[in-house]
Amino acid sequence: MTAALTAEGLHTYYGKSHILQGVSLAVAEGRITALLGRNGAGKTTTLRSLMGLTPARQGKITIFGEDTTRWPTFRIAAQGVGYVPEGRRIFANLSVEENLKVPLERGGPWTIERIFKLFPRLEERKLNRGRQLSGGEQEMLSIARALLINPRLLILDEPSQGLAPLVVREVFRIIQQMKAEGISILLVEQNARMSLEIADDAYVLDDGMIVYSGGAQELAADEARVRSLAGASAEEWTLA
Amino acid sequence: MTLLLLFNITNGLIVGAFYVLMALGLSLILNLSNVINFAHGGFLVIGGYIAYAISPYVGFWGALLLAPPLTAVIGLVVERVLIRPLYGRDPLYSLLLTFGLAFMIEDLTRFIFGPQGKPFAIPAFLAQPLSNELFFITGYRLFMVAMVFVAIALLFVLLRYTRLGIRIRAGTLDLETVAALGINVRLLRSLNFAVGIFLAGLSGVLAAGQLGLEPTMGTGLLMPSFIAIIVGGIGSLPGTLVGGLLIGVASGVTAVFFPAASEAVIYVLMAVILLTRPRGLFGEEGMMG
Repeated sequence: MTAALTAEGLHTYYGKSHILQGVSLAVAEGRITALLGRNGAGKTTTLRSLMGLTPARQGKITIFGEDTTRWPTFRIAAQGVGYVPEGRRIFANLSVEENLKVPLERGGPWTIERIFKLFPRLEERKLNRGRQLSGGEQEMLSIARALLINPRLLILDEPSQGLAPLVVREVFRIIQQMKAEGISILLVEQNARMSLEIADDAYVLDDGMIVYSGGAQELAADEARVRSLAGASAEEWTLA
Repeated sequence: MTLLLLFNITNGLIVGAFYVLMALGLSLILNLSNVINFAHGGFLVIGGYIAYAISPYVGFWGALLLAPPLTAVIGLVVERVLIRPLYGRDPLYSLLLTFGLAFMIEDLTRFIFGPQGKPFAIPAFLAQPLSNELFFITGYRLFMVAMVFVAIALLFVLLRYTRLGIRIRAGTLDLETVAALGINVRLLRSLNFAVGIFLAGLSGVLAAGQLGLEPTMGTGLLMPSFIAIIVGGIGSLPGTLVGGLLIGVASGVTAVFFPAASEAVIYVLMAVILLTRPRGLFGEEGMMG
């Protein structure tokens, strides 16, 4: 089992506050790795450190065999890392079609035509501006944008946030489909139960430290732990 | 009286077109890089003097074609060497840097070409008035306005229909996300800076043909160009276009009735617009909105 991404002993700060205190994790190639944890545990910071957006002060990051620890963000992404940021970060003044023309054209199976086949809704709305889309459509657009750089590794930060249960199911179905395409996936979620249903491996982050690492199923079986992780709203949902 | 008014409105539109050309470049650089480029007028001077220096060899048309890209190349070097290290810092740093740069360019021009003005010859057929009645509308003035509008149209096409332009617009909204999508944002900023400086260089060549060359010629255009941006709404390029023409005409018309106030009226206009629409005329919509 080769790793798409490994992080060893990451320490990240916002100003003086010490957010990540030695985070180590690995994303195995072709598998879905879930990174769970309560609000403020450091999940988003972990992803931002991996992407070079908030660089870690200490530690080492390896992506597809390259030491990317000191690389600028665009170079990390250009290696084949698709990033779906927290809050989706759609370009609100740009049309859907223009949003899809921003990513680097790395070459590969994903083209705008293929994206429109996967997300027919985006084609219908291609001339609408980003800000005119619903939350679910924005999430689709954010995922579509990340797919267009033809990623080998897809990093998603809370894709289910603020979406209706039906739309969340759709998003998770697409994540599974991406795994079937051979893309390695690192998924950060509040929605612990549903994430563990599709994940192969799992990590739990608490106060900037990894407190669980292992199989997703083993974690899912630990009812008390899952309950303590799940956000109140998400507790009852299942993938069904 | 009607003729005088028409004369001044025409003048105002022409001056306004220059404000627009300058302000669009300033706006591009401000929006993407958060740099308030006080040296923009300096680049206009560089464009004008490059045209002056090369026109004996390549003629007016050659100078018009070559001076703006050469100015843009100088702009690229300045961005790479001086401005890039200041990205991510307080905008005050780059403001001070470009403020100093403006003085250096002015003095360097004086040092190389001398303090007195230089004439810049335009083709004879462009210098003719179109008619005796409308003596103030020379072929060159029409030509200048036409060039300004061609430049604006090309800029619009660039920003609307090319990936580079779309990425520039995306970057003005959220540069971090553009980087996370694999785009070399350092290069993006450099190219965007070069486009802005190209427009300043073009203004320089066109202005040289109308007014002749002086080391100080950029200074007078700079403040009104900033005001054009503010009046139009920071972040909105259509706003900049309207803002530039508006203050040009306002200044021209005031010159008929109250010549002494023709410059002050620009500031009064800005104050009135900011009091009624604090984000400028097109401020809410944002870039290209």
